[in-house]
Amino acid sequence: MLARTRPSHRRPAAIAAAVGATILLLSACNLIGGEPQELTVLEWGGYEIEDFWTDFQEANPEVAVEFEFGTSDADILGLMQAGSPADVFHFYTGWQEFYVDEGLVAEIDTSKLTNWDAVPAEMQALGQVDGKQYYIPWDWGYSSILYNTDEVPEVTSWDVLFNEDYAGHVSMWDDGPGAVTVSSYIHGYDETAVTDEQLADIEAEWTAQKPLNIHYWDSEYENLCPEVISGDIWVAYAWQGCFSAALAEGVPVAYANPEEGRNSWVGLYGISADADSPELALEFLDMKLAELTCENLVTQYYYGCPRTDVMEGITDEFIIEVLSIDDPTVLERTNFTPIITAEQRDAWTQMWTRVKAN
Amino acid sequence: MTAAVRRRGGAGIGRTRVPLRATYLAILVLLYFPIGLLFVFSFSENTLLTFPMEGFTLDWYREVFEDDALLESARNSLIVGVLAATGATLLGFGVSVAVVRFRFRGRTGLVALAGLPLVVPFIVLGVSLFLLFIFVDVPRSLVTVAIGHTVVAIPFATLILLARMGGLDQNLEDAAMDLGATYRTTLRRVVVPLMGPSLLSAWLTCFIVSFDEVAIAIFLAGGDPTFPIFLYGQLRFAQRLPVLIAMAVLLMIGTVTLCLIAFRLGRRRV
Amino acid sequence: MLGRRGALRYLAVPPYAWLGLFFVLPLVLVIAISLRPETGPIDFDDPWQLSLMQYQIVLETPAYLRLLGISILMAATVAATATLLAFPVAYFLTFRARERATFYLVLLLIPFATSYLLRVMAWRLMLGQEGAINSFLQFVGLTSEPLDLLLYSRAAVVLTLIYVWIPFAALPIYAAMQRIDRGHLEAAADLGAGPWSRFMRVTVPLALPGALAAFFMVFIPTVGEYVTPSLVGGTEGIMYGNLIQDFFTSAANWALGSAFSVFMLVVTLVLVVVALRLVDVRRVAT
Repeated sequence: MLARTRPSHRRPAAIAAAVGATILLLSACNLIGGEPQELTVLEWGGYEIEDFWTDFQEANPEVAVEFEFGTSDADILGLMQAGSPADVFHFYTGWQEFYVDEGLVAEIDTSKLTNWDAVPAEMQALGQVDGKQYYIPWDWGYSSILYNTDEVPEVTSWDVLFNEDYAGHVSMWDDGPGAVTVSSYIHGYDETAVTDEQLADIEAEWTAQKPLNIHYWDSEYENLCPEVISGDIWVAYAWQGCFSAALAEGVPVAYANPEEGRNSWVGLYGISADADSPELALEFLDMKLAELTCENLVTQYYYGCPRTDVMEGITDEFIIEVLSIDDPTVLERTNFTPIITAEQRDAWTQMWTRVKAN
Repeated sequence: MTAAVRRRGGAGIGRTRVPLRATYLAILVLLYFPIGLLFVFSFSENTLLTFPMEGFTLDWYREVFEDDALLESARNSLIVGVLAATGATLLGFGVSVAVVRFRFRGRTGLVALAGLPLVVPFIVLGVSLFLLFIFVDVPRSLVTVAIGHTVVAIPFATLILLARMGGLDQNLEDAAMDLGATYRTTLRRVVVPLMGPSLLSAWLTCFIVSFDEVAIAIFLAGGDPTFPIFLYGQLRFAQRLPVLIAMAVLLMIGTVTLCLIAFRLGRRRV
Repeated sequence: MLGRRGALRYLAVPPYAWLGLFFVLPLVLVIAISLRPETGPIDFDDPWQLSLMQYQIVLETPAYLRLLGISILMAATVAATATLLAFPVAYFLTFRARERATFYLVLLLIPFATSYLLRVMAWRLMLGQEGAINSFLQFVGLTSEPLDLLLYSRAAVVLTLIYVWIPFAALPIYAAMQRIDRGHLEAAADLGAGPWSRFMRVTVPLALPGALAAFFMVFIPTVGEYVTPSLVGGTEGIMYGNLIQDFFTSAANWALGSAFSVFMLVVTLVLVVVALRLVDVRRVAT
């Protein structure tokens, strides 16, 4: 009788201990040292491919590189502000000051970068804020109109995005500042000093434009390229990535040189102020500027890279055409993305939210 | 009178002219068609999912096992699923026993609270936990995802376990206690075994809910993606689609097998 | 009864604590943040100010109110249709599929085991211009050109969501129908009621709580949907939930996003209460 009431409270405790130990063991498999080092990079979709960090991988094969993804500059800034574990992050011109103001980025000691001298001075300067070097430049390219030549005659202006003939076959980038930029080009506004009245007009025209879109795109290779290739999208705000992808599939596309000029942007990499391994992060940045990695960017994605020797060594006619390397008039008419202020950023993204709500 | 009713046949009372079985099967076909489509395309050689299918290949299935990132995301989902299902089932068990066997002040409140997550849209649940973790400076990770999923799964576990608990004969527990067992022992040796199949169902349901959940996970995951998050990010690459489908098919087969096994086990216990 | 009451602590306190900490507290935090006047992400070290600014923005921007209204209508459509379609399914399972009911039920639930995202992708492929549905329509001769309203539209979002929710909606209805005492139906038959009359006057009212539960279980989460619209909605199908998503990602504005969330919850709650009152009144009336 009493045997039944033997202290059985030890059994649950033993079971709990076993379960706990198992869980600890499983999680330890991830966390214990002797494990390869880790580097986390906050990246844009498509940039995680190994070709884009091949030199780093060769020099540090035991490092596990993990990627977290963002879909726009605002998203990346938001993720960094929300405490992303990333050691390295990637964003584009215009947003340099925010990271510095919020204390999210660490200064770079360029003397430790072995490839720094191959980068032209103007590009080096893009990564500076208040005379201090915070970022390295990497990918650069254009924003322009990508269009299907079978359906659309030669595009000469950004306002083709508002052309009702192409209703249901247009796609605009899901980005407020991007929309403001396009409108500024078309109407000749000063991008750095858009007035409230102009902003209201911009909102009205994009609200009217909304139904023309098949959808807004926020990730090149997910919801822009496939539909350009399938022929569902005839006119799109695009970077040259999809231009090269579509050409490769034999789709008749062209990349416009609008009279208002293309937009040009430069991608920048920074080291997080909270990086777990800042030296490793610095090396990652250094290896980004290495020759082979740089070359892959140009030959794979048809984006420009910041090494003068690589750019001058490009002989492929096709790439020269895509990047308009030897067309001086393109560069003259190109509008480089200016730095925006926090108020502008907020006002323009809120404007875009209202457009989307309509 | 009753004999006449029974003769009219079958399960229900008389036959209606509504083609019920046909409706059911039609809806079933509707549900399965996209899945069938996916299943078929996981064998297609062509990466663009077009008609007609070109060539038959098992390459995609082989590629699944060579894709580290893909396998890792599935493993992450497994970890999260186990944590969430276990947590939700334990908590749901606590609620069901407390509510059915005891009278206490917060009784209706507890049941209501346990069911409430069902009526809050996922995005609000995701965003609120996102803000909480930032507020208390806890970095996002698989653990935070598991916490979110536990909250979402508790209503499911509670509903399933409450139903079973309600049908349990209290005399059995009283008998055990009369024989000298503490309530804890009674729970362990009488209630839990009797509820076995329901506990298993609850666990499996919570697991499935967690495994496939993406709306909340997007806000709570850190550097390690769960399978749905990984999928959501990979859908951009058209050429990746067949591999992802192959993986999903394998996972589906795995889940269904698990459910069938659990079902069989449950059957035997009666 | 030794130690019985003591066990209550271990049973009731953990769920209370967990839900209090990870469900109630976060919602309180959302409400608190919705009362802050900052734009952009919130730095919690900043002093905590109170302001109704965000709610003012929501209430004074017609576009936002309209979008909530449209999202609610879409959600109601999805919930109503899914419940309606689930009804015969549940009826079949309860009254026609006696021995093999569990088998049919399992069959119904297996699609749940397949990734939701991929099922939606499959729909995207089917609805697209080159997709199965358009090819079929053209093949059969009903249309001569691909219909582009099938994908990237509000209709696509609604259709896809109905498809996803049907199996789920069938469950509460099935549960309610199972509890129907066959005795009632037999009595009705004995009193001379025909099959349709028995269905309308016995089965439906008794299954109604299940149908209502199904409706609300589908309606409420769908109001805040954002994943499906982002995949198949295009610009027309953008829902209220997508804006909230934006406020916490690309168009970072946590305070406004929180206000959006609270506003949606309040409006939805009010609608649910009103709807329940209406149903009660009608039931009393019959």
